[in-house]
Amino acid sequence: MKNVIEVKHLTKSYKNNKAVDDLSFNVQEGEILGLLGPNGSGKSTTMNCILSLLNFQDGKIKIFGKEMAPDAYDIKSKIGVVFQDVAVFDELTVYGNIDYFCGLYIDDKKMRERYVDDALKLVGLEDNKSQYPKQLSGGLLRRLNIACGIAHKPSLIFLDEPTVAVDPQSRNNILEGIKKLRDDGATIVYTTHYMEEVEILCDRVIILDHGKIIASGTNDELKALAKIEEKVTVEVADLAPNQLSGFEKIKNVSEVEYDNGVLKISYSKGKNNLIDMIEYLKTNKINYKKIFAERPTLNDVFLELTGKDLRD
Amino acid sequence: MFWHSYKYSLKALLKNRMMVFWTVAFPFILALFFNMAFARLHDFDVFEPFDIAVVNDEEYKKDEIFDTAFKTLGEGDERLFNIELSDMEHAEELLNDGKIDGYVYAKGDKKEIKIKENGTNQTVLKMAVEQVSQSAKMIDDIALSEIAKNAGQMVDISAIYQNAVKIVSETEPNIKDESHVMNMVSVEFFSLIAMACMQGAMLSCEMMNRCMPNITNRGKRVAVAPTRKGVIVSSNLLAGYTLLFISLIALIFFTRYILGVEYGDNIPLICLLAALGSLTATMLGMFLSVILKTRESAKNVIVVLVTMVGSLFAGMFGGMKLFFDELLPFVNKISPVGLITDGYYSLYYYEDLTRFWINAGTLVLISAILFVLSIKSLRRQRYDSI
Repeated sequence: MKNVIEVKHLTKSYKNNKAVDDLSFNVQEGEILGLLGPNGSGKSTTMNCILSLLNFQDGKIKIFGKEMAPDAYDIKSKIGVVFQDVAVFDELTVYGNIDYFCGLYIDDKKMRERYVDDALKLVGLEDNKSQYPKQLSGGLLRRLNIACGIAHKPSLIFLDEPTVAVDPQSRNNILEGIKKLRDDGATIVYTTHYMEEVEILCDRVIILDHGKIIASGTNDELKALAKIEEKVTVEVADLAPNQLSGFEKIKNVSEVEYDNGVLKISYSKGKNNLIDMIEYLKTNKINYKKIFAERPTLNDVFLELTGKDLRD
Repeated sequence: MFWHSYKYSLKALLKNRMMVFWTVAFPFILALFFNMAFARLHDFDVFEPFDIAVVNDEEYKKDEIFDTAFKTLGEGDERLFNIELSDMEHAEELLNDGKIDGYVYAKGDKKEIKIKENGTNQTVLKMAVEQVSQSAKMIDDIALSEIAKNAGQMVDISAIYQNAVKIVSETEPNIKDESHVMNMVSVEFFSLIAMACMQGAMLSCEMMNRCMPNITNRGKRVAVAPTRKGVIVSSNLLAGYTLLFISLIALIFFTRYILGVEYGDNIPLICLLAALGSLTATMLGMFLSVILKTRESAKNVIVVLVTMVGSLFAGMFGGMKLFFDELLPFVNKISPVGLITDGYYSLYYYEDLTRFWINAGTLVLISAILFVLSIKSLRRQRYDSI
C-alpha cells in the first residue's frame, strides 16, 4: 500500500520540554490510523507539525509523496482537519459555516452546494441547517465542527479528539460518519485518548507517551503485548484469606486482586476461563453475585508498557 | 476565493452585535448626545471676540512683522480677540484671575502662548499664533533673499517688505472668517468623527484574530486551507473597512444634514479624510494584532486603550489637545486621531489645503508603514506554539 504520510525523526521542543521526540511513522492509503495517548503525550503537537502549523526542530514530513510546507497548497487542498476545539463562526448559520469553510477549497458554487448538503447528511444536521451554533447542543456542535472540516471531500482527514464531551448518540453518529469517510476512500488520522474508539475504528494504532512511540500495530498485535490474555471479574461479598490464596493456584492465573467485594483475576493464557472459574466457585462453595470475562484492552497494554493508566 | 471570504466575513461581522454597536451605533449615539448637549450653542452663532493679552516686552517688539500682523487680528468689528498689551507679570495675573483666555509672549525667536484651560478659544489663539508666525517668517525670508540679491546696491527696504507681505498674503493660508473659528460644535463633531475612525483599529484587530492560528480556532482552520494567507487577511480587513467606511459616511451625512452640524463646504474632503483615517486605524489594529503576543481578549483591551489614549491626546475628551500639544508635541503629529482632527480643523479654518494634505499624506504614510511591518511579521508561516 502507498504511504500517504511519511514522518521521519520529527522532534518538537517547547523550551526544554520535548513535546515530540524523534517520531517516525507512516500512514497508509485508506487506513484509519489511531494516535492514542494520554493528555500531553504529543498527539495534537504531532498533528500540528504534520499540518505545518507548528515549527519543529528536526525531522521530515511528506504528504502524498511531497514535502509538506505552509505554502504547499496542492497538498492542503486534499486535506481536511477537524480540530479538538470547535472552530466555527457564531454569527453564521450551520449551512453558512459549512459553506464558508468548504468555499476555501471549492470554487465552483454548484459543486459546493452539493458538497455542503452531503456533509450535512453525513453528520445528521439536515434539520438544523438554518440554526446558529449557539442554538445547538454540545454534540450537534461537534458534528458541525466535523462537517466544516470534511465538507470538501478530502482524501486525507485529521481528526483531533472529535468526540470529547459528546453525548452517546452524537458519538455514535460521529463514529459512523468516520467509518463512512474511510469506506468512501479517505485516509484518516484519528487522535484520541479514548481507547474504546480506537478499538472500534482504527486499523492501526500508534501509542504515544511523552512524545515517543511506545508501541504500534493493529489492535490484536498491541494486545498481544499485554501479559494477560483474559480478565475475570467476580462480585463476592465475603472471602476468607485461605480462599483468596486458592485463586492464585489456579492454572494460568497471573494476578489476583480483591477490593470492596470485587475479585479480579488475570489470566496469562487461555480465552475461555470463565467456565472453569464458575466451576471453581461452585466446588469451593463460594457465593457470588455477578461474574464476567474481559479481553485485555489497550489500556492494559498502556498500563503494561508505562505503569500508568491512559487517563492519568 | 477572495469574494467568497469577503462575503462571509462581512456577513459574520454584521451579525456581531458587539462590533456593530461600537463601530456603527456608538458614534451615532454620541452624535445624538453631542447634539443635545450643544443644542443651546446654536443660539450663539454670532462670533464673540475673546480676551487675550500680549506681553509687549522688548523681546516681543523685536519681531515687528509678527507684532503688526498679530495685532490686526485684534482690530475692527470682525476681530478674533480683544488684545491687552501688558507685561509678563500682569498677563499672568489676568490669566490666573480668569480675565483672559491666554497670553502671547516671545521666547527667543519663537512666540509662545500660555493658557490655563483647554477650549475652543485657546485652540483659536494657538492656531492664530502659529499662522501669523509662519507668515511672518515667510515675509522675512522673502525680504532677506531679495536684499541679498541686490547686495551692494541701494535698496528700498520698506518696499521690499511691502512686496513680501503682498506675496505672502496672496499665497499663504489665511484663517477664514470668524464664524468658522467660533464654531465649537463643529470642533467637537470633528473629534467624534476622528474617534469613530479609530474604531477601525478594534474592528481590524478582531478580523485579524480570525485569521491567526495562534489566536483563534477559526484561524487554525483557515491556516490549513489551501488559500493564501494574504487573500484571507485582505478579504477580512476589507470587510471590516467596508463596514467602518459606510458607517462613517452615514455619520458625516447624518450629523451634517439631519443634525445640521456646520462642516464647511468641503464635504468630499471630509469624507476622504475619514476614509484615510479609518484606513490608518485599520492598519493600526492589524499591526497591534500581529505584534502583540497575548490572548485575544488582552489584545482587544490593548487596542481599545491605544485608540482611547490617542483620542484623549487629540481632544476627544474635554479639549485636551492643546495641553498635550504643549506637553508632548510629537505625539499629535504622528497619532492618527491627532492627524484626523488637525486635518479637519485645517480644512475648516484655512482656505489653503496644504496643511490638510500634509495630514492626509501623513495618514497614508503611517498606514503604509504599519502595513509593511504587519506583512513582514505575518509572512512567518509556522508558529512556535498554537
